[in-house]
This record gives sequence, C-alpha cells and structure tokens, in this order.
Amino acid sequence: MDLSDKRTGIVVLIGVLWMIITVLGWKEQYLAGMYLGVILMLLHLMLGAAKNGKLSSILFVYPFILWAVLWCASFFLSNHYADQFSGVIPDFTILGFHPSFAWTILTYWIGGVLTLTIGFILYKDEWLSEKDWQEFKEKIHMIEQSEVK
Amino acid sequence: MSGSVKIAIIGFSFLMILVSFLIGWWAKKKVTSSKAYFGSTGMFGPLTVGLSSTAAVASAFALVGVPGLIYSTGNAMTFWMLSSAAFAMAYLILGKKMRAMAEIGDVSSLGDVSDLRFNNNRYIKAILSIILFIGCVAYLAAQIKAGSELFSHLLGWNTMVTGFVIFGVLTAYMAISGEVGGLLTQAFQGLVMVVAGIIIIIAFFIMTGGFAEVLNVISVAGTVTKGDVSKVFGPDLLNAWGVLPKSIAMAWMIIPILGTVGQPQVLTRMYALKDPKDMPKLGLYTAISHFIVGFFAVVVAYGALYLVATGAIDPLLNGDSAIFAFADYLGVYAQLFIYAAVLAAAMSSASMFLSLSANIISRDLPSAFGKKIAPEKQITVSRITMFVLGLIAILFSLTSAEMVAILGTFGWGTLMSGTFPVFIIGLLWKGANSKGVGLGLTVGLALNLLSLTGLKWPGALPWYFNVITISIVLTIFVSLITKDKELNPKVEAVIDL
Repeated sequence: MDLSDKRTGIVVLIGVLWMIITVLGWKEQYLAGMYLGVILMLLHLMLGAAKNGKLSSILFVYPFILWAVLWCASFFLSNHYADQFSGVIPDFTILGFHPSFAWTILTYWIGGVLTLTIGFILYKDEWLSEKDWQEFKEKIHMIEQSEVK
Repeated sequence: MSGSVKIAIIGFSFLMILVSFLIGWWAKKKVTSSKAYFGSTGMFGPLTVGLSSTAAVASAFALVGVPGLIYSTGNAMTFWMLSSAAFAMAYLILGKKMRAMAEIGDVSSLGDVSDLRFNNNRYIKAILSIILFIGCVAYLAAQIKAGSELFSHLLGWNTMVTGFVIFGVLTAYMAISGEVGGLLTQAFQGLVMVVAGIIIIIAFFIMTGGFAEVLNVISVAGTVTKGDVSKVFGPDLLNAWGVLPKSIAMAWMIIPILGTVGQPQVLTRMYALKDPKDMPKLGLYTAISHFIVGFFAVVVAYGALYLVATGAIDPLLNGDSAIFAFADYLGVYAQLFIYAAVLAAAMSSASMFLSLSANIISRDLPSAFGKKIAPEKQITVSRITMFVLGLIAILFSLTSAEMVAILGTFGWGTLMSGTFPVFIIGLLWKGANSKGVGLGLTVGLALNLLSLTGLKWPGALPWYFNVITISIVLTIFVSLITKDKELNPKVEAVIDL
C-alpha cells in the first residue's frame, strides 16, 4: 500500500480526528469517540510502520485491521451489555466477569496483545528487516561522505 | 500490624533498596562515555529494557491510586491499567525512527533528538525542555511523597528522615551511574513488581474464588456503613464504564494507549536498545511484564471491594488505602510483597524522572540558551545537578503538600502535549516544521499553566485532553500553511525508514 503521497493527508486527518474526538467527549458521545480513537491510532500505526512510504499489506491486515475491528467490537459489546444490565444483576457472566466488562478483558486487553504484540513479532521483517537497517546505515554513510566533499 | 510483621516488611523493603544501590554502584563500570551516562544509548537488550520500561511507566500511582479509583468509581480506570498492547503500538509507530536518530548524530537525551530533527532550533528545545521538566518534576515529587509517607507510617519515623533515607540512596546511585544505573535498577524493580503481581493474583483467586463470586457479592451488598464511612455497591460498579461520566472512560482509553508513545520513559528506552531489530521482542517483554502488573492493580481493587462487601473489613475512608487494606487482610506474605512492590514502583519512576530532570537542567536547557558545556565536564556537572535536584525534590515534596497535590494533576497528559508535536508528528511527517511545532509547544505550555491556575474546559474530559488536542492541531495546521528550511537529508532518511 503506497502512502508516500498520502502522508500529509493522513496527518491532516489525524489533526481533524483529535478535534472531533474532543468535541464528542464534551458532548458525552463517548462510543463514537472511542471508535474514532481506534481510527486515530490506526493512522499513526500506518505512518509509523510504512517503509519508504509503502505499508506492507500483511501488516495492514494482521495485526492492524484485525486489532482495530476487535477493539471496536469490544467497545460496542461493553456498551451493549452495560445498557442491557443497567442497574440490575446480570443473569449470566462471561468467565465470571460482568458481561460488559468481560470484553475489556477478552478483546481490549488480551486481544490487544494477541494482535499488536504477537503480530509485531510474527511479521517483524515487514516492519524492519536486517536488509532495511543495513540499507539505511549505508544511505546515512553516503550522505555523510557527500557532506564531507 | 504486629511488631514482627513490621520488621519483616521493613527488612524486605530495605533489602530491595540495598540491592538497588549495589546495582547502581556496579553499573558505574559501564559508564564509559557521556552518551552512556545520559542516555544508555544502544547499550541494552530487550529483556532489561522491557522490565525497565514497565517499572518506569508503572508509578506508585499505578499500584496505589489506580486500585483506589477502581474501588471508588468502578471499572473505567481499567482501560488505563490494562493497556498492555500500548507498548507494541508505541514501538510500531516510532521505535525504528527514534532508534535511527541515534545513528545520524549523538543522541543522549530527547533534547538531542529535537536538535537533530529541527536543525538545532533553540526555541523548540527550550520550550520542550520546560514542558518535560514540569511533567518530570510532578512525577518525581508524587513518587517521593507517596514512598516517604507510606514508610514513615510503617517505621514510625519522621517523614523527612524516611524520605532522605530512601530517596537519598536513590539520588546517590543515580548520580554515580546515571541512566545506566537507572535503567538496570528499574529492571530489577520491575522484576520485583512482576513477582509480587503473580503472588497477589494467585492469592486473590484463592481468597475470593474468582471474579464471578466478587460480582455476586458486590451486586447484592447494597450500602455498607461503619461509623461515618459508607460504601455504596451495585452491579453497575463492575460494568465496563463504572459510575463516572462515560467520556472519562473514553479519555482513559485513548490517552494511555496512544500516549504511551509520547512518554519520555518509553521514548528514551527506544534508543537505549542495542539492536533496533529487537524492538518486537521489546514489545513482547514489556507487554508480558505490564500484563502482570496491570492485572495486579485490578485484582487488588476487586479484592478490597470484596472484603468490604462481605463485611470482612470496614469501608475505606480513602480509596487509596485499598491496596494496603487488601495486603493487611491477606497476611504477612502479601504485606511483604505489596509494600516492596509499591516501593519498587515509586523508586523506579522517581529514578527515571530524576535523571530526566537533571539532564534537562544540566544539559538541554543550557544548550537551548546557547551555553555549551565541554563533553568531558558534562558528567561532573550532571552528577552535581542530580544530587542537588534530588535533595531539593525531597525537601519540596515533603514540605509543600498543597503544591505537590496541584502538580500531581500534571504528568502523563502534560508530557504528551510536549512530545507529540516534536517527536510523533515530527518523526512521522516531513512537513512538520519549526514554526508549527514552536507554536504548538508554546500554546501547549501556556494552556498547561493556565489549567494549573483553574482554567475551566467544557465537558467532563480531563483538562489535559483539550491541551493535547490544541497543541497537536496547531502543530499540524501551522506547518501546513508555513514554509521552513529544507529538511536535513539524514532526517529525511529516518522518516522514510
């Protein structure tokens, strides 16, 4: 995925998202703010993980998109069950947790680590390979040599 | 608490302080350059850096304040404490670029990275340094106050004497071995927190029978009163949002997750890593240790709620005593590990922020104002600064309770408002220029200070959320409409990496 000519657009979108999320927070529209918060993080991840402006499709699908979907589902389910059992004792639990909080544990906490942390390990070369690092060091060396001349 | 238990806790905790000092003393052998002393640049592997990062991020607030908030207001704070995925996110976003900056110039501090990115722009370095200094001193003062008060209560000593004993030792080893000693002692303290976490998590399950039992008890407990103190229970306390306005849960999800990449204790560790290709392993080790410490804080809160709801202990006058009430009920083994873990959390964060503050005062700020200190003198100057600053911080923290409380509202969010324009926007986007970053930082600093004096913001969001947004938005939009000098080709190569 080529992001090289989209970087400025993505950064502008980051600025706009910060503004929208803040206003949503003022208006107590927390769920929309949390969904947009995930998109805000996704945009940072895309910019940070791209190499020479190109983002690996593998990284984009897993872990990034899978993580984003998991977290949006997490917030939706937490809210759904909080509303369903507002002020009453829930008639079932998930692994012993309140059905609303269970998604914080399963998808936000454990799911977040299983996607971002493990995906990072599995596809580390898509982020930075030995070849990329050596090429970077050579590039810096050449720039320094040309500066000396 | 019986006398023999007190002696055991004190002995165990002082053993940890002694081991920390010995590690710090031993580490001075590794200080072979100013780069090592100030930044541990490119010196350590992922396990050491991972444990150190968790310890530096998890302050005394994480183990005392977080369980207190969950006890008082329910689960919203768990979004902050269960943010273990944030480290991988931070390294994916900025890890390789931050580490690569150490390949294109001498990097021993965040000020050095700012110099490289923005062509030695002194104004940016000065404002950044001031924001970082305020955030670091706020953290430092809070750790000293929490650690000293806890142990003075336990020892029956004067708070000032306790503060000077614990944090005086810390100041001494930090002055001797700088960031090398800091990073290694933090790794040890992180290990103490992880071991304590595992023991207490097991103890929680044995004591309560698991989360289902806690939920049952809390849902039906109603209001528990003893004397003038009451605690209102209900099932909503344990849903995902708790009883605070839900926009606070939103802020406590976005700020710790995305904000981890903007914390100095995470940023500086990115260039302390020896091999940048070990960054994924660093993400894993930090996540595992944070996973345990984060869950530790959650089960402590649930344990205290369970004990109060079942009538095993009285309702707590102050939520911050939840961790100690839980430890005291469990008995001597829990008390040993919990008190040591709280001390480890306070010491690791204090050492990190003492070192950052001293580097700003002795190195970054003088250079921002055009005063150059010869490299061979920098370590001596910094050692003296660290010593003096450490002593002043102890005196200040223990004599200015009101000011420390006010400063306590600074910290994570204040640091984000300084680091996001310079490092996150600056290293992800070639278009970020010194005019945009300079204005973003200046307005961020002014709004941080105005918020300190009582500036009111709309809605229920924590005030720093608004400041961060304004600082980032100004950086981006002013950079868009202004032109600056051409980017250094080496910095361009870093951003492309």
